[in-house]
Amino acid sequence: MSRKEALSSFIQQIHGRPVVVKLNSGVDYRGVLACLDGYMNIALEQTEEYVNGQLKNKYGDAFIRGNNVLYISTQKRRI
Amino acid sequence: MADDGENVSVMTVKEPLDLIRLSLDERIYVKMRNERELRGKLHAYDQHLNMVLGDAEETITTVEIDEETYEEVYRTTKRNIPMLFVRGDGVILVSPPVRVGV
Repeated sequence: MSRKEALSSFIQQIHGRPVVVKLNSGVDYRGVLACLDGYMNIALEQTEEYVNGQLKNKYGDAFIRGNNVLYISTQKRRI
Repeated sequence: MADDGENVSVMTVKEPLDLIRLSLDERIYVKMRNERELRGKLHAYDQHLNMVLGDAEETITTVEIDEETYEEVYRTTKRNIPMLFVRGDGVILVSPPVRVGV
């Protein structure tokens, strides 16, 4: 598998999976990844906002603008 | 494929901006940089997330440290703007209204 394929297969695999999205500001968003695009704009479902590890907010759906994204990581199970 | 605006409930979100498109003419919540939040009716948007919001309410949160107790005091200031153009680069998160019955 080429490196590029490895990236796109990761992106395909995580659709519909619970993920943690960390922003440059340090805020975490946990939710189910609905989709993402080439700017790394992200649509999350059942989103929970964590600031300093504390739950601060919940959103049914959330759109996150890609420029704020530090990383997307998969989550084994919702906490 | 579902047409724009038709069959919204069965329309799947194929790209993140679809989520914004489905919120047109609805009141949305926008989290901005510098601890600012906006709520307003989404009239228009583009790919940069530039947006036009009607009947917008801006909430600004500031933290002040009490000089004697060193406690963090959160203060929110609100103001209402009948029509607001938002530059997209300040946007962090957009959330559609909570849909009733979901």
